[in-house]
Amino acid sequence: MRALGIGFRGALAALTGVVVFGCGPSPITSGRIEAAIEPTFANLAHVQISWLGLPPMAASDFAVTASCSRLLAGSSAGAGDWRCRLVWKGPDSQTLHDAYDLVVTSDGCYTATAAEDTLGGPTLTSRDGRDVRNLLYAFEGCFDTA
Amino acid sequence: MSVPGSLAVTRVECAKLAAQLKTHLVLAACVISPFAFAAAMRVQSSLPEDTLFGRCVKESGFAVPLVVLGFAALWVFPALSSVVGGDLFSAEDRYGTWTTLLTRSRCRSEVFAGKVLTAMGFSALTVAALAASSVAAGVLIVGPQPLVDLSGTLLPSAQALNRIALAWASVLPPALAFTALAVLLSVATRSSAAGIGLPVVAGLTMQLYAFVDGPELIRRLLITSAFGAWHGLLAEPPFYGPLISGMAVSTAYLLVCLLIAYGMLRRRDISR
Repeated sequence: MRALGIGFRGALAALTGVVVFGCGPSPITSGRIEAAIEPTFANLAHVQISWLGLPPMAASDFAVTASCSRLLAGSSAGAGDWRCRLVWKGPDSQTLHDAYDLVVTSDGCYTATAAEDTLGGPTLTSRDGRDVRNLLYAFEGCFDTA
Repeated sequence: MSVPGSLAVTRVECAKLAAQLKTHLVLAACVISPFAFAAAMRVQSSLPEDTLFGRCVKESGFAVPLVVLGFAALWVFPALSSVVGGDLFSAEDRYGTWTTLLTRSRCRSEVFAGKVLTAMGFSALTVAALAASSVAAGVLIVGPQPLVDLSGTLLPSAQALNRIALAWASVLPPALAFTALAVLLSVATRSSAAGIGLPVVAGLTMQLYAFVDGPELIRRLLITSAFGAWHGLLAEPPFYGPLISGMAVSTAYLLVCLLIAYGMLRRRDISR
């Protein structure tokens, strides 16, 4: 019985420790989301260009910079709804501005949907007349929360 | 306890399993379901956009095993992992066969090890069957086109297949941890309903935590987090942190559950 009591107290102490030390700041931060969405958007734009039959561009040529903020007032980190504003270079080197609504889950995965229709609808037509999915209309990605 | 003794029990348990309709139905479902899913995706216009890779399930057959993997993590893996593990011990209670079993030439530790090996083997078999069938369904019904990964990079077919194989292999540790939990519940409650049902309920409850933006450490300490650790394998560059912590957590659950279950079985008064 005494051993059981010690075991119970030990388990309670361990649980308290987990709760106390586990209640740190959320790993879902604007820095992590921006670092994830910038290369993902650039890589998708690179693939999209080739699917559309346009002259190829390297992912780095899109020079994407993102600025993300959480929509919940008064909090700067955590899962939920986020808004990211992207500034990037288009195929003619013009500077473009786009916004995405993000749903970020606690495991570090997100779904980004274009907030405006500047990037077209869900489907685009390639140069040879094929319908291709608009990769930049809505996309998903994951980042490390460690 | 001897290894040949444990293996002898495993052979008997496997023969008993092979004779059960349940075993055949579960394995058949693992093989058929992905083909039904891929065929449905091919003919219908809507896509499972709320699951990772759901958007590209018509573009690349390699998205099919990943959508199945994401969906199965919700409750299918806990159910498949406990359908045998949650019943192997309690079935002896149900049929009143413990006294017969333990008067044979095998000691309790050998019976325990043999039954656990059988349960673990069956869980691994269901995961392997679901994985192989999902890949085959995707490639045969949709096609082996390159896959856009979670960093927007286009993965060539061979590379996509490698990553998918690794992703499916990564769910084995948490699946086996659920089997160990089912074994523990089967031994503790002596009820197959509890042995099979409670791990599924536990799995769903742990999944619910993902919707609550709670402390990260607690999320990582849940077995179900390891079911999503494969996301890092489909990113560029891949990240392995969740995979390592998921394996460590799964191993801890597995060892603790089996140790407690063995302790309970060893101390049990079989004569009652």
